[in-house]
Amino acid sequence: MGDSELAYGSSLTLDSMKVIAESVGIATLGDDAAKELADDVTYRLKVIVQDAMKFMHHSKRQKLSITDIDHALKIKNNECQYGFIQPDSLPFRFASGGGRELHFIEEKEIDLSEILSAPPPKVPLDVSVRAHWLSVDGVQPTVPENPPPLSKEAQKLESVDPISKLSKPSNKDSAGKPICGKAARLKASESVHVKQLATHELSVEQQLYYKEITEACVGSDETRRAEALQSLACDPGLHEMLPRMCTFISEGVKVNVVQNNLALLIYLMRMVKALLDNQSLYLEKYLHELIPSVSTCIVSRQLCLRPEMDNHWALRDFAARLMAQICKTFNTSTNNLQTRVTRLFAKALQCPSQTNNETGPSMASMKESEKTPLASLYGAVQGLAELGPEVVKVFILPRVRWLGERVEGALSGIGGADRLAAGNLKHQLLKVLAPVVRQLRQPPDQPEDYKRDFGYLGPSLQQAVSKIRSSPSCSTAGGAVAVVTCTPPLLPTAPSPSPSNISHTTKTETVTTRNLVIASSTPQSPAPSTPPPQKFVIVASQQKPTQIQSSSGTGHIVVHSSQPTIVRSQNVQAPVSVVAKPVFARGGGGPQPPPELDDLSHLA
Amino acid sequence: MSEKSTPLLAVLQLLRKYNLKSTEDILRKEASLGDVECESLDLPEVELASILTAHHTESDPFTYELAYDGLKKFIENSLDLYKYELSTLLYPVFVHMYLLLILYDHVEHAVSFLEKFGIEQEDYYQEDLKKLSIVKHKDQIKGNELAEIYSTNKFTVQLSRDASSQLKRYLHEQKNSSVIINIINNHIQIEVHDGPGRTQAQVRATAGGVLGEPMKSENRTKVYYGLLKEPDIQVLPAPVEDEEEVEETPDKPKKKKAKKDNLFMKKPKSDPNAPPNDRIPLPDLKEIDKVEKGKALREASKRVQLGPDSLPSICFYTLLNSGHTAISCDICDDSTLLAVGFNNSNIKVWTLTPIKLRGMKSAEKLQDIDREAGDVLVRMMEEKDRDTCRNLFGHSGPVYKVAFDPFKTMLLSCSEDTTVRLWSLQCWTCLVVYRGHVWPVWDVRWSPHGHYFASSGHDRTARLWATDHHLPLRIFIGHYSDVDCIQFHPNSNYIATGSSDRTVRLWDCLTGSQVRIMTGHKSTIFTLAFSVCGRWIASGGSGGDMMVWDLSTGGPAASLPPAHTAPIHALAFSRDGTVLSSGSLDCTIKLWDFTAITDESPIEETLNNLIPKEDKYLLQSFATKSSPVKGLHFTRRNLLLAVGTYESSA
Repeated sequence: MGDSELAYGSSLTLDSMKVIAESVGIATLGDDAAKELADDVTYRLKVIVQDAMKFMHHSKRQKLSITDIDHALKIKNNECQYGFIQPDSLPFRFASGGGRELHFIEEKEIDLSEILSAPPPKVPLDVSVRAHWLSVDGVQPTVPENPPPLSKEAQKLESVDPISKLSKPSNKDSAGKPICGKAARLKASESVHVKQLATHELSVEQQLYYKEITEACVGSDETRRAEALQSLACDPGLHEMLPRMCTFISEGVKVNVVQNNLALLIYLMRMVKALLDNQSLYLEKYLHELIPSVSTCIVSRQLCLRPEMDNHWALRDFAARLMAQICKTFNTSTNNLQTRVTRLFAKALQCPSQTNNETGPSMASMKESEKTPLASLYGAVQGLAELGPEVVKVFILPRVRWLGERVEGALSGIGGADRLAAGNLKHQLLKVLAPVVRQLRQPPDQPEDYKRDFGYLGPSLQQAVSKIRSSPSCSTAGGAVAVVTCTPPLLPTAPSPSPSNISHTTKTETVTTRNLVIASSTPQSPAPSTPPPQKFVIVASQQKPTQIQSSSGTGHIVVHSSQPTIVRSQNVQAPVSVVAKPVFARGGGGPQPPPELDDLSHLA
Repeated sequence: MSEKSTPLLAVLQLLRKYNLKSTEDILRKEASLGDVECESLDLPEVELASILTAHHTESDPFTYELAYDGLKKFIENSLDLYKYELSTLLYPVFVHMYLLLILYDHVEHAVSFLEKFGIEQEDYYQEDLKKLSIVKHKDQIKGNELAEIYSTNKFTVQLSRDASSQLKRYLHEQKNSSVIINIINNHIQIEVHDGPGRTQAQVRATAGGVLGEPMKSENRTKVYYGLLKEPDIQVLPAPVEDEEEVEETPDKPKKKKAKKDNLFMKKPKSDPNAPPNDRIPLPDLKEIDKVEKGKALREASKRVQLGPDSLPSICFYTLLNSGHTAISCDICDDSTLLAVGFNNSNIKVWTLTPIKLRGMKSAEKLQDIDREAGDVLVRMMEEKDRDTCRNLFGHSGPVYKVAFDPFKTMLLSCSEDTTVRLWSLQCWTCLVVYRGHVWPVWDVRWSPHGHYFASSGHDRTARLWATDHHLPLRIFIGHYSDVDCIQFHPNSNYIATGSSDRTVRLWDCLTGSQVRIMTGHKSTIFTLAFSVCGRWIASGGSGGDMMVWDLSTGGPAASLPPAHTAPIHALAFSRDGTVLSSGSLDCTIKLWDFTAITDESPIEETLNNLIPKEDKYLLQSFATKSSPVKGLHFTRRNLLLAVGTYESSA
C-alpha cells in the first residue's frame, strides 16, 4: 500500500501511443488524440487484466498466463489473440535511441523450412499420479517426497533467537518429531505458567540412525562410510541429531588427538565436511564445538604417532580448507568469526609456544623445543592461506623472516621429523607467498632484494615468484602444486608425469622436482557426492619413488608407514623431504592407498 | 460534452419521465442540445436523483474533500462506543464521492482525492479501490462492474440508535455536509439497531462485503439445517451386513456392529431442525445404490475417531508432469476414483485401487445378456481389465470443476465453454450437455442424494438442475459479482454460494429464495464446506482467510487466524465432523480442531476476545514439496486424501 501512487495511477503514456500509432502507419497523432487514446486503452487493458485474474484464480494458479487474457477477451466478446501461446515468460527488452526509450517484446524471425525439416518435438510426458504419505497419524515422515522438516531459515532463526522455540510451545509445523496428542495440548496450556525446556529427545529410529551413522563414519568399512557420509551430506531432517553429532565429533577429536590417531581424526573431519555440505542444516549453533575441533586438527603439535612418517599434513590442509569454508559460510558482523579465526592462527605464528614437554619422541631432541612446533606453524600458515591472499599479506608476509629462520634452523638440524616438517613448511610458505608477493612487487626480481627483505626464504621465494610470472597460467594461486583429479593407478608408487618444480636449495639454486603421485581411491567405494571433485595428490620426492610396504595390522585400523626414504642432496644440507605414506590396511586387503594430502575420501 | 450538460440532461430525462413535452422542447431549444444527446438519456434512477439534488455543489470539487475530511475527524473524535460503527460509513461515502467527482468531470480532483484518502481505507477494500481507480471518465462508470454495483445498489451500514443520532446531529450542524447527506440519502442504507454500539472486533467480524453488512431482516427466515432421516438405510444395512458377515467372520463381530449401526441411526431421529423428508422430492434409491449405501455404513463403522489427540493420516496424490494444466479434481465418495479436470479441456479419471476401469459392452453384446440374471450388472461390463486411467473429451475450455455423483456412476464437469456436462462412468461417454449459463461456469456440485445438482458461474447466478431436465429448475439471483463456488447442504434442501462480492449466501431449493446472507469475508470466496451435522459452513477465500458460519443465526461462528498465505481452494470435514482440513496454493495442508471452534462459539458471541483462542484451533500444518493443494477428501474411515500438482521451481 506504500506505493499507492503507482497502484492507483499507472497509465500508458502519450509517447507509447504515438509509437504504436507510428507502427501502424499514422505518422502524426495529435496530443489530444493520443491522450484520449491512452486513457481509453489504459482503462480497457486494466479491465481485461482484472477479468483475467478471475480466470487465473479459477485455474488455481497464482501467475497470470496468456490463456487467461484470451478467456477474458472472450467474455468481453472480443476475439482472442491467436498465436501468442508461450509457455515461458516473455521478458521485455529495453532499447533507447533518438531520445526515446522503448520496452518491447523481442520477436525473432523463424525460418519455416528449419522447423519443417527439424525432427518433431518430443511428446511431453503424460500426467501420472503418484501417492505418498504426507502424514502418518499426524506425523510427517521424512521421505524425499516431503519437504525437510525444519527449513534452514527456521533453524537459523532458532539459533539466533533460541527463545523463539520456547515461545511457540506447540510446534505446529510438524517438524520431524510429533508433538501431537496430549503432550501438545499440555504444552499449549501450560506454556503460560511454566518455563519450558527445549527438549532434544530422539525417537528410536533417530537413535538407531545416529548409532549406525557414527559407527559407519569411524568404522573400517569404506563403502559404508561413503554411504554414511553421503547420508550426512544429503539427508534432510538431521537437525534434531545435530547436537549429538557435533558432540560426537568434538569428543572424538579430543580423544584422538591425545592418542595421535590420525585416521580417526581424518574420518571425523570428513564428517564435519559432510555436515557442512548438507543444504538443509544450519550449523551456526554448533560452531562452538566444531571450530575448536577443526582448528585442533590444523595446528595441533602432533596428530599422529610418527610425525616423521605419517602424512598428517593432509589432515591439516583438509581441516584448513574446512575452516575457510566455515568462515565463509557463517561469518557475520556480529560473530566476527573470520577475525577470531585469523587471530587464532596469527597468534600461533607469533608467539613461541609455552612449554614443550617431550611427548613426541622426536621432539625431545629438538633444540627449538621452546618454540612453536613446526607442524603447528605449518597448520597456521595453511589456515591463514585458505582465508585468502589479503590475510596472507597481512599476517604471514611480515613474519617471513622469522619463519625462514625457523626453517633454516630445522633444516640444518638433525631430527628427521623436524627436517621433514621444515621442508613442508618451507614448501607451503613458498606456495602461499609467491602469488601474493608477485602482486606486491614489481617485475625485476633480484635475489638480493628478496634476500634482504625476506631473509632465508628470499631467494627461493624469488624463484617461485619469477616462475609464476613466467608461466602463462599464473592466475591460479596454487601454482606450485598441480592438482590432479583422480584417475588412479592402484598403487601410488608410480610417479605421475606432472611435476612441479620448486627450488629446495638456496645457494646453488638447484631445482629439485617434486613428483605428484596420484593415489587411487578404493575402487569399490562410491565417491561421496560432495560438490568439488575429490582430489588425490601425493607429494613424494622425485629421486626415488618410495615403496609401500604393508604389514599385518593389529587392530581393525592399523596405521603403517612405509620406510621413509630420506634423500640428501649431495651439495646442500637441506634434505629433500619425503612424505611418508601411512597405509591403512583393511582386513585381508592388499596394500591400500594411503590417505594423502588432499584426499581424505578414500580412506578405509 | 460540457460540464454543465450532465445536470441539464438529467433534468431533461426527468421531464421526459413525467411526459412534459412542451417544457422539454423549450429546454432543448434554450440549451441548444442536439438530438443525439437527448436520445441517449439513460441515467440510472439513483444517479438521476443524486444529480438533481447535488448539482449546486457540483461546481466546487473542493467541498468533497472538505466534507470527507470533516466526517473523518468527527468519527475519529467520537466516543469509542460509536467510533467503530461509524467508521464503516467512511468507505461508502469515500467511494461515492470519488464516483461523483468522476461523474462531474473533475478527474484530477478525483484522482488526488483517491490518492489522499484511499490508503486510509480498510486493507480489505484496497483491492476494490484498485479496481475502481481505473474508472477515470464518466462514460466508464456505466459498464464497469464495480462502479455499477456501487451506483445501482445501496450500501448497508448498521448503526446503533445513539450512533445514528450522533451522526444526524453532526450532519445538521455542519454547513458543507450537504454532499454527505446526499450520498447517505441516495446510496447508503443505514440500519438502526437497538443495543449498545459494537466494538472494533465485532464490526470487523462482519465487515468486508462489497455492499456492507446484510440487513438484519434478511437473515430471519428459519433454516432447517438438520439432517434428513434416512429410513432406507436404516432398514437396509442389516441384510447386507448379514450376507457379508456370514461370508467373512462368525457371529461375534456381527452383534457389535449391529449395535453400532443403531447408534448411528439414533441421532437424526430427534433432530428438531431437520426439514420434513418430503420437503424436496428425492429420488428413490435404486437397488445398486442401496448396496453402495450399505457399504458406506459398514466402512463408517470402521472409521477412526479423530480429534486433537489423534490426527488423521494424509495420503498425498501428486499429479506429475501436469504443471499448471491440472486445475480441478474430485475423489468419489468411496475413495476409489480420482477425476482431474485440465486446462486443455480434457478430463482424466484414475482408479486409486487395483481394480481397473472397465467400460460397458457394446450394444450387440448387451442384447445377449439375460436380463433376469442376478449378476446382470457384472455381466454388462467388459470382461477384460482396462486401463488405470481414462480420458473424457468433449469440453472446449478449461474444466473448472469435476464432481462424482454419490453412487459413482456419473461425473459432472463444468467449463469455461459455458456448459455443464454429465458423463457416464460406465460407457465413458458424455450423456447430457446442460446449457444455460451464458458465461463460464465456475463450479458444479451434486446433491448428496444424487439426481439434483447445482452450478454457479461468471453470470452472477447459481442454478439448480435435475439430471433429467435440460433447463434449470431454479435460478438463484442476488450476488453482485461472480458466484465462485457452490455447495449443497447435506440435507439437499439448501444451497450455499460464495462469491467475489465477498458474501456467502444460502438459498432455499424449494422456494428459490435467499434465506441467509453472511458477510465478513475479506476476500473472494473460493471454496465452501458444510459441516457433517449441517449447522455450520466453512468458507475459504483468496486471501488465505477462513471463516466458519452458523446457519441458525447467519453470523460468523469463528474467524480462523489467516494461516494460509495463498488462496484456499480445498476444504474438507472429517467424516465424524471433528477435524476441518484446509488446503491452499501455498503448498500446505492445515488441520483445525472443529469441535473447539464450535464449542467456544457461544461464548465468543458474548465475549469478543477472539484472539487468544484462535491459536488453539490450529492442530497441525503439513507442508508439501512445492505442490499446491487442489483437492481434499476424507475417506469413510477418516483417512485424508489430498491432491496436488507438482510444480517444479523452473
